[in-house]
Amino acid sequence: MRFLRVPALPRLALAAASAFALHAQAEPEAAAAAEWRAASRLGYGPTPALLEDMRRAGGPKAWALQQIDAATAASRSPARIPAAMARFNEPLEQTFEAFRAERAARKAGGAGPQKTAAGMPPGRLLDTGIFSRDMVRSAAAWRIAACSAPDVENPLLARMTEFWFNHLNVFAGKGPVRPFVGHYEVNAIRAHALGRFEDLLLASARHPAMLFYLDQAQSVAEGTRGPFGNARGLNENYARELKELHTLGVDGGYTQDDVRSLARILTGWTVAPRDPSGFRFAPRLHDAGDKRLLGVAYREGGEREGEEAIRMLARQPATARRIAGRLAAFFVSDRPPAALVDRLARAFSASQGDLRATLRALVESPEFWQADQALFKTPVDFACSALAALGGAREERPIALALRFLAGAGQPIHGWQTPDGYKTDAATWLSPESLTRRADFAIALGRAASEPDFLAPFLGEATRERIAREPAPLRPGLMLASPEFMRK
Amino acid sequence: MNRRRFMRALGAAASALALPRSWAQAAPLLSNGRLVVVFLRGAYDGLSATVPYADPDYARHRPSIAIPAPDGGADAALRLDATFALHPALAPLLPLWQERRLAFLPCAGSPDPTRSHFEAQVQWEIGMPGRSNAPRGWLNALAGLGGGGRGPVAIGVGESNPKILSGPAKVRLIPRGNAAAREGVLANERARQALLDLYSGSDAMAQAFRQGADSRITSAQALMSEMQSADNGAAAAAGLLLDARHLGTLMRDNRRLRLGFLSAGGWDTHANQGAAAGLLANNLRNLGLALAQLRRDFAEPGDLVAVVSEFGRTAAENGTRGTDHGHGNTLWLMGARVAGGRWHGDWTGLSAGNLHDGRDLPVHHDFRSVFAQLLAAGFGLREEQIQDLFPGARFDPKLAGLVRAA
Repeated sequence: MRFLRVPALPRLALAAASAFALHAQAEPEAAAAAEWRAASRLGYGPTPALLEDMRRAGGPKAWALQQIDAATAASRSPARIPAAMARFNEPLEQTFEAFRAERAARKAGGAGPQKTAAGMPPGRLLDTGIFSRDMVRSAAAWRIAACSAPDVENPLLARMTEFWFNHLNVFAGKGPVRPFVGHYEVNAIRAHALGRFEDLLLASARHPAMLFYLDQAQSVAEGTRGPFGNARGLNENYARELKELHTLGVDGGYTQDDVRSLARILTGWTVAPRDPSGFRFAPRLHDAGDKRLLGVAYREGGEREGEEAIRMLARQPATARRIAGRLAAFFVSDRPPAALVDRLARAFSASQGDLRATLRALVESPEFWQADQALFKTPVDFACSALAALGGAREERPIALALRFLAGAGQPIHGWQTPDGYKTDAATWLSPESLTRRADFAIALGRAASEPDFLAPFLGEATRERIAREPAPLRPGLMLASPEFMRK
Repeated sequence: MNRRRFMRALGAAASALALPRSWAQAAPLLSNGRLVVVFLRGAYDGLSATVPYADPDYARHRPSIAIPAPDGGADAALRLDATFALHPALAPLLPLWQERRLAFLPCAGSPDPTRSHFEAQVQWEIGMPGRSNAPRGWLNALAGLGGGGRGPVAIGVGESNPKILSGPAKVRLIPRGNAAAREGVLANERARQALLDLYSGSDAMAQAFRQGADSRITSAQALMSEMQSADNGAAAAAGLLLDARHLGTLMRDNRRLRLGFLSAGGWDTHANQGAAAGLLANNLRNLGLALAQLRRDFAEPGDLVAVVSEFGRTAAENGTRGTDHGHGNTLWLMGARVAGGRWHGDWTGLSAGNLHDGRDLPVHHDFRSVFAQLLAAGFGLREEQIQDLFPGARFDPKLAGLVRAA
C-alpha cells in the first residue's frame, strides 16, 4: 500500500541491516495494510472492536468471508434504527397520509419553506415539525449512524446498502420522493442487498420512492382519461433508466423502440396510498396492446408482463458485465482489471444474480488484496470512517456535522439529483480545495474526542511524529486529516 | 476541410490566424478575452425558453405546456422577432437582447443520436461526439493552451471535479454556495502549519493539498470582502445566481483566470414541467438572473458566455405534461463580440416531417462548430489547436457571422 511506505531515512538504515530485519519490518506492514483494506472497503474503516474480530477470525480474508454471511443474516432481520431517528421507517400508509395532509396544509397557506439545513441549529436536526423535512433528515441520520457504528449496523451491510442505493438512486430533493427515501433504503435496498439481483430490482421498481422519482407512477397507456377527463399517456423516464442504468448499460444493445415498448409494458405500475406495500397494478391504466422488447413478443399479461421484462433484463449478459464492472470499481480500483470484471460477471451469471455469491467471488479474487489496486476515499467514505474511528455517530452533533460536511463536499446523503448515482473515483473526488475541507471536518470532530490510538499502526512514522508535537485537542483531528486516512 | 479552406472560411479571423507563430506566442492565448461556459445538466427544454410562437405546430404539440404567444399578458412570452419569443421568466435577458449582446441558435447540439444524459454530457465535455471517454475535458485542454505555469487559468464553481475541467492542466474548483467564502480550519495558524507539514511530500495528494490550501484562503478572502460590500440590503442570492456572483468576483480578483465553468441541474422535466409558471419556469428564472449577473461581471470587450445543455427535449409533450429526451436544442451566446439581438443558423420548424426521428428538433449545427467559431474568432485559436480541443470540428459557413474577431 502506497501510504505505508517506509520513510526515506529508515529505508537507508534498513538497507544496511540484515535481510531478516527487512523481512520482519515488511510483514507487520503488509498485515496492517490488509486489515486497513478489508475494514475500509468492506465497511467504513477499522475500530478497535472490528480489528479484534478480524484477528480472532484468523485474518482479514477469513473475516471478510464471515462478514458476508453475517451481513446476509443481518439483511434478513429488521434494521436496528435508534428511536430518535426511526420516524422515516413508519408504515407506508401513514407516510402517504401525512404527506397528503402536509400538501393540503401548504396549499391552504400553512407551513411554507423555512430555514435551510445549514442554518438549522444541530439540536433540531431530527424534529423540525415539518413532516417531509423530518423524514429526509431522519433517513440521512440513520445512514450516518449505520455507516459509522458497527453495533448499529453490520458494516458490510451498510456498504452494500450504499452501493445498491447508489446503483438504484433516488433523490430526496424531488417533492413526492422525499418522505419515502428512507423507507426505500431500508425496505427495498437493505433487505435485498445480499439477495438476488432481480428481487432487488423488482423491490425498487415497486417502491413509491422509485415510482415517483422516475415518474413511473404517472405513466399510463396512451389515451387514458384522467380524473377531469384530461388525456394522459406515456412517460419514458423509468423505462429508459431501467435499461441504461439499472441493467443493460448504455451500450447494452437496445433501441428507442425498446424504450417505448418497456414503458408500455410497465403502464399500470403505480403507487397505492392505502396498501402496506405502497404499490398496485392498475389494469385500467395498462396498455393491453402487443409489444416487442429486445426481440421478444409480449402479449397482454397485465402486471406479469412487467415482472417478466424486469427479470429478463436482470438476466442479460450485458447486465452481468455492468454490475461486475461497478462492483469492481467500487471495491477494488477506479480502473479495475478486466480479468476481475470477467470473473465477477461469471459468478453473477452462474449464480442467477446471487449477490452473496458474487461478493464471495470478489473477496476471493487476488486483485481485491493487491497493494497496487489503490482507492481514494469518497466524501461519504471519509465522513463515515472518521466517525467510526471516534466511536460512531449516534447523536445529533456529530451527525449534523457530517451531513453538513457531505453537503459542502458535493456528496449529500440521498442528495444526487440524477439517476446515475454518485461517482466513486478519485478523478471525481480528489481535488485541491476539497482536501482542505476534509481537514475542517476532521479537526472539528476531533476536538471533542479522545485520541484514536489504535490508528497509529496505520499511519506513517513521519505523520505520527508530526502529530505528536501538537496539543491534545488537535491530535485526533490531525490523525483523521492525515494523508494516510484519505485512502482505503 | 483542409487548413487553407478553414482559414479562408473564417474570413475576418483569418488574418489573426495567419500571424507568424512566434508573434502568437508572444501574446499569450486568452489574453484578449475570457470564456464562461454554463452547463444546464439534464437537458433543458429550449422550446420553452425560446418559444417558436409563430409556428402553428408549437401549440398543437404542447396542449398543456405551451407558453402563450406574445400578447402583452402577464403569462405571455416576450416577443423577440417574428419567429421566436422569450419565456416570461427569462425577462432579465430581454435588455441584453435589445443591446444586441445576446444571441442563440435554436437547433444546435451534438451529431451523436444518444438520448442518454450521461453519455451525452461526457461527449459534450470532452468535445468528442461518439466517444465514451477521454483523459481530459475540452475546457481543461483550452486551459493548457493558455497557461504558463503560474497557477490555474480555469475555475469551476459548484461541482467537485467536472469532466470538462478534468485533465493535466491545473484548475481551481470551489464549492457551491456560501461554503466557498469560508476559510475553515486554515484560519487557525497552528492547525494550518501542522496540516501543511503532513502534506509536505511530493506525491499528487500532497501537492493538491498545498495548492488547495493556498487557493482556498485566497478565494474565501475575496468572497468574504465582496459579500460584506454587496450585502447592503440586497436579497440573499442563492443557487446559480450566487455561484455566478462568486465566479465573477474570483475572476475579477485574479486576472490570470480566463476560463470559468458553472452548472445547474434540475432540467430533466419528464412530468408536470409547467408553462409560464411551475417547475421549469422557476429554473428559467434562476438562469435569467444568473446570466444577467454574468453580463455585469463579464462586460469586457473580449468576454464570452455560452449556455449549453446535453440535448433537447421532445417537440411534443408526453402523457404526463412533461417532455422526454430529444435531440437538437437552443444554445445561447452572450458578449460584446457576439452578433446579438438575433438568432443564428437554421430553423426548420416543428412540422412532423422536419423533426428528427419524427419527434425531436434536429441538430442543424454541431456544437463543435459553434465553439470552433467562437474560439477562432474570439480568442485567435489556430485550426490545429481547435482540432486538438474538438477533433473533427468543421467550419460551418452559416455561423460565419456569429462572433466578431478580436
